[in-house]
Amino acid sequence: MAIEQLIAGVAGGAAPPAATGRPAAGQGFEQSLGRLVTSVEGTNADANQAVSRMLDGSGDVHDAMIALQRADLTLQFTVQVRNKLVQAYQDIMRMPV
Amino acid sequence: MSTLNAAIDASASALAAERARIEVAVSNLANAESTRAPDGRPYRRRDVVLSATPVETFDAVLGRAGAIGVAVAGIVEDRAPARQRYEPSHPDADAEGFVSVPNVDPAEEMVDMVSAARAYQANLTAISLVRDLLQRALELGRG
Repeated sequence: MAIEQLIAGVAGGAAPPAATGRPAAGQGFEQSLGRLVTSVEGTNADANQAVSRMLDGSGDVHDAMIALQRADLTLQFTVQVRNKLVQAYQDIMRMPV
Repeated sequence: MSTLNAAIDASASALAAERARIEVAVSNLANAESTRAPDGRPYRRRDVVLSATPVETFDAVLGRAGAIGVAVAGIVEDRAPARQRYEPSHPDADAEGFVSVPNVDPAEEMVDMVSAARAYQANLTAISLVRDLLQRALELGRG
């Protein structure tokens, strides 16, 4: 639950009340992961826009660079979450019954 | 990452403000001898007015914003009188032969420009520090 709240907070800026309560069927971690991916896509789109604004002269170089860094960090965070998820799955699958 | 985002936003707003300061200092330097502006008078030295503005974040809405950014409140003209220079052959000279030249002191503009450039660098350093901190925090997940 703590992880869900953390990820919901990161992905959406603010955790909606639905995510902090008991996860309903089909919600919870899956949904949080989905929102994380959405935020990666969002920051990527922002970075694209900032770079094209910089190229056509209406934006600043530092704005483009900051948007790129933000997209990069969000992607790295998502990759880390995914790594942890896969690792936990593998640990459980290797568990002798 | 909301808190550090706010820190980066505050630094980014400072970068934009310092860029405006550099632009104004450069235009003052460029027009140090301009005796005709679009309004017909000699060019007047311009100055940037900066104001502290809270960064728009969730924390700011809740009234507990830690990061306060900066915004350009306006670009105002210096009210100091134009310098008078005796130059009767100049086309803009008045009846007594004096030309009104802009109230720009190149040395002062250079100092302004250096201070704005250093402030820009300081804010870049702050941004890269925050970026490094975030990357260090992500390393917690490795291994």
